[in-house]
Amino acid sequence: MNEILEQIAICVESGKINNASPFPPQMKGQDGADELTKQALDSGITAGEILQGGLMIGMEKVGVKFRENKVFVPQVLMSAKAMSAAMEHLKPFFASGEAERKGIFIIGTVEGDLHDIGKNLVAMMVEGNGYEVIDLGTDVKAEKFIEEAEKHPGSVIGLSALLTTTMNNMEKIVKAIKDNDASRKVCIGGAPVNDEFCQRIGADSYNPDPQGVVEFLNSQAS
Amino acid sequence: MGNVNLSNTRHFKFHIEELNISIENIEKLARMGEGMPSYIEFLNKEINSTLLDASIEGGYIILDSDSKNDRIEVEGQVFQMGEAIAKHYTNCSQLAVFVCTAGPEVSKRSMELSQNGDLIEGFLVDILGSVIVEKAMDRIQKTLQEELLKNGLKATNRYSPGYVDWNVGEQQKLFSLLPNQFCNVSLSESSLMSPSKSVSGIIGIGKNAKYKHHVCNDCSSANCIYRNKRIKDPKNAENNCSFQ
Ligand code: B12
Repeated sequence: MNEILEQIAICVESGKINNASPFPPQMKGQDGADELTKQALDSGITAGEILQGGLMIGMEKVGVKFRENKVFVPQVLMSAKAMSAAMEHLKPFFASGEAERKGIFIIGTVEGDLHDIGKNLVAMMVEGNGYEVIDLGTDVKAEKFIEEAEKHPGSVIGLSALLTTTMNNMEKIVKAIKDNDASRKVCIGGAPVNDEFCQRIGADSYNPDPQGVVEFLNSQAS
Repeated sequence: MGNVNLSNTRHFKFHIEELNISIENIEKLARMGEGMPSYIEFLNKEINSTLLDASIEGGYIILDSDSKNDRIEVEGQVFQMGEAIAKHYTNCSQLAVFVCTAGPEVSKRSMELSQNGDLIEGFLVDILGSVIVEKAMDRIQKTLQEELLKNGLKATNRYSPGYVDWNVGEQQKLFSLLPNQFCNVSLSESSLMSPSKSVSGIIGIGKNAKYKHHVCNDCSSANCIYRNKRIKDPKNAENNCSFQ
């Protein structure tokens, strides 16, 4: 594999944002995801190649480590920062259609619920794994999810809830989405949610962590 | 068991500085991990600037109660909290129904930082908010305990709707016992409190009420950030988290 892409992957995995950033200490003074992505583009590597061969590889490693409790939220956020520094350079290519992402993921915290730390983490990880993420925020009603999904055929919806009471709203929302389009895939997550609930309400996938939803999306995309 | 006439409603306001917040503890709760830059200076600055005037407040109202196997009756409301929690109230004839909040400032600040791309800072301020509300509630609980002691009474731990088998929907009953907008905390239809960094619950009162240290054993929240600390260090259990 191309050496610079490998280095970008390492920067994302270890949370090395740019040259000036002191973290991680062993990479002090070296170029980070920011500079390396620019250099890669300048050397003729395409945005798609950088996404797939650099960012996604790094982000996947972080996701797996997070799932295995080898890293915790702050390190994931460092990686997300490194990823978004790189993304800044790539976004124009996605906007112009010159490079494509794997799919679209629409995420939001369900109606009646305002928690967003968990949802934001999922959004960052999914983006870093090559998807375009549309974040509808918190307290999102079924109609809003449906309206956005209709604009993006083939997109997958992700719902987050942190209280057992708002889990009930999740059920309502999944039903409304499926009534509108039975083939639309819906993933759910959040502290009180589990697999049994997922099956009962007819959602397509429950995952306790962001990496799980990435794997589900990948299985749909391939 | 005759009930002592305790001053019925209490309201407290706190200044962030009097809560003795340990910044090291916030980094620990956040699980900062090795080699991460230190955010101690950042957190100190937040505490001494943006959050200096945070509207931290809380209070309780003391009401007569009657507990059965898996429920407690109070003022015509029946809390169905399940046996695991209700058993702690068998020796109680009164309840302190409480709410406590870190105020809206801390969540606003956390969101502002995150939206600005300062993700770790935003996350740390979010945790700071959780610690503030728990610390403030510890203070209220301590004051209550001291007052009770003067009257020959004792208090149980605090328990909150949404923990163990107590459905979070029972927040509606709990709030119906409190004055409207008590401590500036409001409850939504979906039983979510606003500001976000708020806690609610009950404390049992009685001559033989028991305060238990190892309440984590009753709770199924395996990944609660407070859990290990409490099990490993029972002395710390007074730093209550209302999560029981
Ligand atoms: C810190 C905390 C608090 C703090 C701060 C709350 C806040 N929102 O800011 C304080 C002390 C204020 C608090 C209060 C309360 N809390 Co609280 N709290 C927690 C705690 C310990 C951590 C929450 C957190 O920030 N987690 C970190 C984030 C990153 O995790 P996350 O949001 O779960 O997201 C992860 C996964 O769930 C997943 N995920 C999330 N969304 C999605 C979506 C998709 C599609 C996928 C695939 C995955 C996914 O990925 C994320 C990353 O791994 C949890 C227990 C726990 N371990 O989760 C209880 C918990 C959420 N609280 C709970 C309760 C009950 C309450 C109260 C109602 C108690 C009370 N009566 O006072 C109040 C409610 C507050 C309110 N405003 O109404 C319950 C909720 C369960 C229930 N019964 O409804 C929990 C689960 C604890 C328990 N009993 O097990 N709480």
